[in-house]
Amino acid sequence: MKKYYPSIRALHLYFGLLISPLVLIFCISVLVLNHTGYVDSNYAIKNLPVIKTRIDKIPYDSSDLQTAKNIIQKLGIKGEIDYIFQNDSQISFPVLLPGFTTSIKIDKQTNEVLISRKEEGTLRATNFLHKMPGPHNAKLRGNSFFMKNWKLLADGVVYLLLFLSASGVFLWYFLKVERKLGWVSIVVGIILFTGLLFFLLT
Amino acid sequence: MLIKKITYTNRRLHIHIGLLLVLFIWLFSISGLLLNHGDWEFTSFWEQRKQNKTITTIHIPSGLDSTQIVKSILLQLKISGEVNNVKMNADSVDFSVSYPGHVNNIHADFKKSICVQNQLSYNIWGKLRTLHTFNGANKNNTSTAPNWLLTRVWRFSMDGVAIGLIFLSVSSWIMWYKIRKEYTWGYFTLLAGLVLAIYFVLIIRTA
Repeated sequence: MKKYYPSIRALHLYFGLLISPLVLIFCISVLVLNHTGYVDSNYAIKNLPVIKTRIDKIPYDSSDLQTAKNIIQKLGIKGEIDYIFQNDSQISFPVLLPGFTTSIKIDKQTNEVLISRKEEGTLRATNFLHKMPGPHNAKLRGNSFFMKNWKLLADGVVYLLLFLSASGVFLWYFLKVERKLGWVSIVVGIILFTGLLFFLLT
Repeated sequence: MLIKKITYTNRRLHIHIGLLLVLFIWLFSISGLLLNHGDWEFTSFWEQRKQNKTITTIHIPSGLDSTQIVKSILLQLKISGEVNNVKMNADSVDFSVSYPGHVNNIHADFKKSICVQNQLSYNIWGKLRTLHTFNGANKNNTSTAPNWLLTRVWRFSMDGVAIGLIFLSVSSWIMWYKIRKEYTWGYFTLLAGLVLAIYFVLIIRTA
């Protein structure tokens, strides 16, 4: 097994450096998600002026999603289309980007468009990225170029994190100097982990 | 001398914090994958949920506020968990009590002195998913703290894992910097990671 040590060490180092900035996004967002009250009271969401405009014709298509995509293309707006609401008089939907939300409302009779925008800031951007693509709106999710890429990237970070933790254990095992204390760290981790899960799940 | 000591301590902490957190990292990694891949059939949990309805006679003392009434009901039913969605009416109260993998929707009728419990239990995949998100956050009122001790403990451990991983990331930069001449590709990989992170967090909304 020791013959693999140099190559695993190099992979551990390179993959670790590659995903470390992305791991920081996930970690900062955990703190944001767990302390939303603090973030909300210290970093206000900035509502930008509402834009009123008109489109010549609603570009209806084969599905609500495709229609919404055509609309944002016409309006020059980029982002991930969230849920779409449509009735006899209007179509409305939010368009999401990390830290920025645009809400679009179109009057079907007059073709008048109301665009409201919210600047949510960098901390909420990490929060958004952490939750995306997530379990909700699975049928619509991934309708933008950036979300498709983020989904791949988020998966990649998780798989590499699994590799890094396993390879980290492998690398530690061959460090004789750190072996004793390492066992203590592992055992403390197991006790904390199983103890917490035992109390939480039973 | 001091720099040598700092880098040595940094390396040791990187190893031991990593070993301490390894199970937590696996838990949050796997549950994160489950949340992003609801289409994986073998991990489906909602269809396999177990439902149970029980009706219990309870005594609700008069003159109490909603918090005291909920506490009294939980004591009588001998259940605990994170209390959510409390809706108090003149002659009844509705709320839910949850812990990872388990939700109990409760309706207490003051006039009839009965309590109806609709319990939902999830399989292991459902438990893993809920462990990932179980932080007691209330979307409607973000200033409220979790009301169950174990939610607070779990949220604290989530914070601890996040801070631990932040340390592991930053300490890896210091460790690589020391041996950068042997691992020159480190410049490229770290830069690639930084560019991606900055693009998604900062640039994409202004581009």
